[in-house]
Amino acid sequence: MIEIKNVTKKYGNTIAVDNISFNVKDGEVVGFLGPNGAGKSTTMNMITGFIEPTNGQIIINGNDISKKPRKAKKDIGYMPENVPLYYELTAKEFVTYMAELKMVKRNVRKEEVEKVIKDVGLEEVQNKLIRNLSRGYKQRVSMAGALIGNPDVIILDEPTVGLDPKQITEIRNLIKELGRKHTVILSSHILPEVSQICERVIIINKGKVIAIDTPENLEKATKDKNSISIIVEDPKDNVKNLKEKISQIDSIEFIKDNEDGTKQYIITSSSDIDLRKKLFEVLPKEEIVIFELKKTETTLEDAFIKLIDKSKENIDENKKEEKK
Amino acid sequence: MWAVFKKEIKTYFLSPIGYIAISVFMLMYSIFFYLTTISYGSVFMGDLYYATARYGLLLIIPLLTMRMFSEERKNGTEQLLLTSPRSVTSIVLGKFLSAVAVIMVTLIFSIIYATIISFFGDINIPTLIVTMIGFLLVAMSAISIGMLASSITENQIISAIITIGVLVAPWFLVDFSSIFSSIDLIDKFLKFPSGLISISDTISLLSITIMCILITIVLIKRRKTVK
Repeated sequence: MIEIKNVTKKYGNTIAVDNISFNVKDGEVVGFLGPNGAGKSTTMNMITGFIEPTNGQIIINGNDISKKPRKAKKDIGYMPENVPLYYELTAKEFVTYMAELKMVKRNVRKEEVEKVIKDVGLEEVQNKLIRNLSRGYKQRVSMAGALIGNPDVIILDEPTVGLDPKQITEIRNLIKELGRKHTVILSSHILPEVSQICERVIIINKGKVIAIDTPENLEKATKDKNSISIIVEDPKDNVKNLKEKISQIDSIEFIKDNEDGTKQYIITSSSDIDLRKKLFEVLPKEEIVIFELKKTETTLEDAFIKLIDKSKENIDENKKEEKK
Repeated sequence: MWAVFKKEIKTYFLSPIGYIAISVFMLMYSIFFYLTTISYGSVFMGDLYYATARYGLLLIIPLLTMRMFSEERKNGTEQLLLTSPRSVTSIVLGKFLSAVAVIMVTLIFSIIYATIISFFGDINIPTLIVTMIGFLLVAMSAISIGMLASSITENQIISAIITIGVLVAPWFLVDFSSIFSSIDLIDKFLKFPSGLISISDTISLLSITIMCILITIVLIKRRKTVK
């Protein structure tokens, strides 16, 4: 269990993390989401005890990271953002060193190292120098360093950056697997990743938490209209007049002309109305041939952008009020 | 502490640094061996150790210490060290002792010269041992200075230059005021070659060492809050 209570980090006058609080339960996989410079890494560095918060408390399994660092750090496996590694060591030597640093008992050390190397799929390259490994393998070595010693909490800072699509799926599956036994916090700015892996998402922007919820709820909560994408053949240009025929339509937006003479539009209505049935009935009457009709889903991406924009507006408003 | 120690020793000898340090040292020993003993037909080895301490340490210590913390900071691997359950003190001591170990290896090699000389005359073994102890004490305080320099910058070259500067400056500063002789490490080595363990010199060398180690620990801990 991780408890973050009113944590603030200041660098001089700039506030990197501004009074954030949240809890992560045992066995939960939580995604940490935010644009670049939002304070994701700073927060993770504070949770792992690498930097000290200016204010506030971070408690890992009942141990305050500032007051009982040894106990708290024992429960954490950390994979930092830029994948720092000792290039002059081999993968196996590195993992063994991490095991020693993490105080893995001598009699089980060898087994543990072998197990972790197997888990992250490093067996083939374990005796190669890290210097000579590809980016994907380096990432895995770093991951192995985080997993060694079987810590309760695993913190991964942008674990899939710089990997190719195949490696990304592999790492994601690995993280899902980890989520069964460990508490995992991972940061990312790739949204599908987070909605796939995480049970809960924490969105932060400019050092502030702006939303904590499940990916589904966030998508729902930020959805304020229904939109339907249609591709039609419409020689008489009747689509423009649809609004008169169906009064619930809020707007009709022309998207593009396709090469085969069809046109694409997006029709929006308020969120409680589903226009699909109506469109199917009305369009043929207007001599419009439907090629495609589908509901466009709001994605976590939309939710994210909306939330970020909202928080910006709030900040702007606050500033205005302050000026007054 | 030993985890860090073991890894540092490994790094010294996986990279060329360890070998370069030891071979340059042996080269120095050899040159001074000729200059201080053979060319005078003397069997007194104190001058050999004095000259190597004065010029050899100046070259070797920065080489051994410059990467200690600078490299970790630059590569971000300090994140791995400082988020591990190991205390800062044990990390600093591990690194310090690993450099001391390299110096001890060279001291063991230097016994070769004593063996050669023993064919030509009698060597006072207790004196030789005292000389080596003094040498080690001087090397330890130089290492601690280098380590401190390494903990304040992420640039290895700057760290090396600071170390050389701190070691050399007292040689010239003495001309301004004799006060500066108290920070001249080599000055404190002078009595050891005659077989005399000077309590005051031993204490001041040890206190320089301990002080620099403590400052290094404090600086690294403090970086947690200002970083």
